[in-house]
Amino acid sequence: MSDVAFYDFVRGPFLKFALFVFFVGIAYRFFRVIFLGMPPDYAKPKGSPPFMALKKIIIKPTMGWTFNEIFSRRAINFIGGFLFHLGFLGLTFFVPAHALLWKEITGIPFPTLPNIVSDVLAYAALGSLIALTIHRALNPVLKLLTGKDEYFANLLIALIIFTGLLATRWAGGGSYIWLVSLHLFLANLLIIYIPFSRLSHFVYYFLSVGFMGWNAGKRGVSF
Amino acid sequence: MESLYHIYKRRGYTRRDFLTSAIAISTALGLPSSLLPKVVKALEVKPKPVVIWLEFQDCAGCTESFIRSTSILPTDVLLDYLSLEYHETLMSPSGFYAEESKREAMEKYRGKYVLVVEGSVSPKDKGVYCTVAGKSNVDLLREAVEGAGLIVAVGSCASWGGIPHAYPNPTGALSVSEVLKGKQVVNIPGCPPIGDVMVSVIANYVITGKAPELDSMGRPKTFYGQTIHDRCYRRPFYNAGRFANSLDDEGAKKGYCLYKLGCKGPITRNACATIRWNGGLSFPIQSGHPCFGCSEPDFWDRGMLYTPLSVVSGRFGIREALVGVAVGTAVGVGVAYMNKKSRGGK
Ligand code: SF4
Ligand code: SF4
Repeated sequence: MSDVAFYDFVRGPFLKFALFVFFVGIAYRFFRVIFLGMPPDYAKPKGSPPFMALKKIIIKPTMGWTFNEIFSRRAINFIGGFLFHLGFLGLTFFVPAHALLWKEITGIPFPTLPNIVSDVLAYAALGSLIALTIHRALNPVLKLLTGKDEYFANLLIALIIFTGLLATRWAGGGSYIWLVSLHLFLANLLIIYIPFSRLSHFVYYFLSVGFMGWNAGKRGVSF
Repeated sequence: MESLYHIYKRRGYTRRDFLTSAIAISTALGLPSSLLPKVVKALEVKPKPVVIWLEFQDCAGCTESFIRSTSILPTDVLLDYLSLEYHETLMSPSGFYAEESKREAMEKYRGKYVLVVEGSVSPKDKGVYCTVAGKSNVDLLREAVEGAGLIVAVGSCASWGGIPHAYPNPTGALSVSEVLKGKQVVNIPGCPPIGDVMVSVIANYVITGKAPELDSMGRPKTFYGQTIHDRCYRRPFYNAGRFANSLDDEGAKKGYCLYKLGCKGPITRNACATIRWNGGLSFPIQSGHPCFGCSEPDFWDRGMLYTPLSVVSGRFGIREALVGVAVGTAVGVGVAYMNKKSRGGK
């Protein structure tokens, strides 16, 4: 198979398939959980559940950002996690090639980043991902919470960022096409994998945090 | 038979002109400067190459490009230099005489001539879709290949099947190398390919007696080793994220990158960005138009001439996304309902 034929396959039928599975998968899991429902609770709420749910979703991400929390206890988690998410999401949406894909799907034009900024984001995301993975493997508590799922996801994401960097920064000539196709191929795998793994937290995070807030609101307690 | 040097002399050019061409040829071929004396010597003494040029399912665009390759050899020298024993578009004899001269040349120069094929081959239905002098194109090809010293497929049609091969490919068009499985074929793709590249490959055969170094798809590495994007002078704009949004907006006027307008430079291997066209004057991107990727297989079928490379080919928009969400929702609600029932809930 020639490199261009492989490229045509990964950015054509395979990407289409991956995106379709992604949308089906996310909707499937979301509604399966929602419609399962909760046992009826006849007690009158003591506070305002929707307000607390919203508060929790909005306030929660900033709650750990205290000096004490970050620098004395969970520096790697917070700083690494922040850099990784910033880098990964920045790259996913605002690298010119990606932005054009999102525009095609959503119809909304996305702003594009200059290469130098994407590079900084890519190195930040890759570096923090490696640090977070090592931390995960060594930290006694996190070790217990970690399964194959996390390691696989981390490896896949690291490879995607790495092949993206290789293709845009270092590869010249024919190898660019192989590398960019490999990058796309792995990204397609990730797109398929997201709904069925813990990576789906980009949707369910808000659901579960909102649910916790809702409960707190019901009981009239603060968090 | 005359050598290139003799032709220069006869035509009134100086030795300096000859040496300039020799340097241009060895530079184009990427030969190290230490080999230059050998190149000069070969072009001084080796007889001019005999070329048999067959045209099958083509438009003669490759020929047009070939005879306008002016940066390495002036046209008058080029047409003198190549002993074009058979070329339907360029030769003066026709009919029986033309076929006869081809037969004679094939016998006389057996094992030595360069066979150039332009256009795709059509073996379907016993080759009836392309015949010359009552013979099918496949038979003509096989007969000419027998005594060829070097087989060159010029243009995307001969290299990959090209436009005749595009969907639905009614004539079952194939590339030369697909028909001649197992034989070395030098592919010089492009629609058309750059004339100087074709000339250099033939000159290389005169100098070294063999084909230049080829990549895995049979293309000379010196000319097809890099992408247009690698050598594009608009690349700094690509790197800086500055793109033209239409063919004539402010960005286009400032010479910004044409990626958003569908430029295929990043996946296209060709020498346009370095050798350029019309004696090194310009090339499509320089004149404001995105690269079509004409030298890559199936460029015509890619069907996205003006859509950016990174967009899903074959479309995936909000409608397709919503269909996915609807399917997922239906299945999710269904499964939730069944789970609830099996747990005895309401
Ligand atoms: S490759 Fe292009 S220019 Fe050459 S014969 Fe085919 S259609 Fe014509
Ligand atoms: S115009 Fe095309 S080849 Fe040139 S930098 Fe932009 S995308 Fe690359």
